[in-house]
Amino acid sequence: MRFHFQQAVRAFILLAFSVLLFKLHFTGEMTKFINPKYEGLSQSASVLFLILFIIQTTRVWTVKENSQHHHCHHDAHDHNCSHDHGDSPFSTKKLIAYLVIVFPLITGFLLPSKVLDASIADKKGGLAVLSNQRSEKKEEEAVPNNNQQEDPVINEDLVDLSRIEDNVYTNEEYEQLIQQLEQSSTIEMNDHVFSTYYEEMHMDLDKFKGREIHLKGFVYKEDGLEKNQLVLARFLITHCVADAGIVGFISELPGASSIEVNTWIEAKGVLDTTNYNGTKFPIIKITNWKVIDEPKEPYLYPISVKVL
Amino acid sequence: MYRIVRNNIIELTGIMIIVLALLLLSFSTSFKLSFDLPPSLLNLNTIFLSILIEALPFVLIGVLIAGVIQIFVTEEHIQRWIPKNKVLAIIMSCIIGALFPACECGIVPIVRRLVGKGVPIHAAIGFMLTGPLINPIVIASTYMAFGNDFKIAGLRMGLGFFVALMVALVVSIIFKGTQLKTPIHTRSSHTLSKKESLSTRFWSMLTHSIDEFFDMGKYLVIGAFLAAFVQTYLPAKTLLEAGSGPISSLSLMMGLAYVLSLCSEADAFIGASFSNIFPTSAILGFLIFGPMMDLKNTLMMLSVFRVKFVFGVLALIISIIFMTIMLAQSFI
Repeated sequence: MRFHFQQAVRAFILLAFSVLLFKLHFTGEMTKFINPKYEGLSQSASVLFLILFIIQTTRVWTVKENSQHHHCHHDAHDHNCSHDHGDSPFSTKKLIAYLVIVFPLITGFLLPSKVLDASIADKKGGLAVLSNQRSEKKEEEAVPNNNQQEDPVINEDLVDLSRIEDNVYTNEEYEQLIQQLEQSSTIEMNDHVFSTYYEEMHMDLDKFKGREIHLKGFVYKEDGLEKNQLVLARFLITHCVADAGIVGFISELPGASSIEVNTWIEAKGVLDTTNYNGTKFPIIKITNWKVIDEPKEPYLYPISVKVL
Repeated sequence: MYRIVRNNIIELTGIMIIVLALLLLSFSTSFKLSFDLPPSLLNLNTIFLSILIEALPFVLIGVLIAGVIQIFVTEEHIQRWIPKNKVLAIIMSCIIGALFPACECGIVPIVRRLVGKGVPIHAAIGFMLTGPLINPIVIASTYMAFGNDFKIAGLRMGLGFFVALMVALVVSIIFKGTQLKTPIHTRSSHTLSKKESLSTRFWSMLTHSIDEFFDMGKYLVIGAFLAAFVQTYLPAKTLLEAGSGPISSLSLMMGLAYVLSLCSEADAFIGASFSNIFPTSAILGFLIFGPMMDLKNTLMMLSVFRVKFVFGVLALIISIIFMTIMLAQSFI
């Protein structure tokens, strides 16, 4: 019997990846890294790592006699698969390679995950990328108007948002969602609809002028804002936090300068428009606000519409 | 006693390793840093891990497919399937890539195996470029990100396909041979495995996948770390103010696509968020270049191909995208 140290190390690394992914799921920390929609993918990755670990353990010990034939028949022949099987002698180069692979495991297990904050918003482009206002209006704008006549009927069975899982909407539900936005006098920006409403409102800012809005967000500030202004921002995660985009509204309230950056705020206000660096922005004149704890799910996830 | 140990040595080792991992787990849950790390480092770590977590499933799928290719596809198959004519081979590989729903993180091991099995380098590059760029998920996410407008998604696919064709064509002219770092012996090596049972072949496919994972893993980690570093410390904001003209904005967006190393399925929303600052052509550059090659991907390719080849291809991709978009600009 021969013990292969490197194979054992590899087995351990595979298992550690599996355990790390499992731990993140188990503690619910995973939502701080990726969109929950893709949790299934990383769960299967965790299972795959476990399977690979089991396979790898069989390579830790080899019977001396026909070891090479039994475990990796290629080694007995010309080495045709050009990669390292972990049988070659240990060197500094290899040590570095293993250290590199182990590095995310160490930071993953030992360092706490962090919710992205205003400093990242700043790095991502700040207010400049906030207004993804589109000049062309959508052609289908006429469609909701037709439906508006049937309001009372539809209102009865409006989309129950809690029912919708994974943020997947059918076309019909999506239309209703937009309709809901267009009719309501108070716009409720809850996490489900935030990004959709946000985008819809930016298509035609004037349409929503004067409406009341209710939202949550963290405080982000930027040079160039007035003293009584701040940005109530959220991160929108498509896949993982690396692709986080910022959405948010410039807000106006008297004590803005005294509120620290990164504070979470729940606010009510009235929508208006303003000009900032030559671009038209929506602005919220805040009437009512309070500081809140960071929500359990700080990120927003875009909803997807089933096309078929 | 000794015999029992001997007979169950694999199980015992497995259990030992599991115990070790559980110890680590329990240690980590009770672990508290005795000092405070700056928040930017924690941001960096979170972004770094999230890129890894996002990429790992695709890398695993990639290495498994690579394992399947290694064990079940023979050189004879490849020779029969790939047309002798270079242009035909390139067109075919680009179309297969477009049909194949790959992610750029998982495609490098697959391409390496294919080249090792005798797929000509130009065909492999065609496949590598269209694989992550053109697939249903990318089309859908681009369509949604740009306000349910098919124009950008269509242009992204169309121009991307054209660029991939062109790059592969030029590669077929400039580069010969496999361009792999360690030459692979192309002589038929699976005379042995043909005699073996399916289960043995399946087993060796899995062990191959493991080795492949460890080969790629280190480059993936370094790439993810660099991309996370750039995101945490490089102020995109000041960069944004720099780009104004069509050329500088296009170069800027392409540079951004390269260093951010976003997954092709997720970059559309980021691209869209720039759409009011930059012209459509610059956004298209971002959307087309990102999936084809980025920082993370370059490092993974460097583990497989010769340095000269990797940078040659990178330069080709950049210049061809640049020219294509400059030419197409007047029509957009």
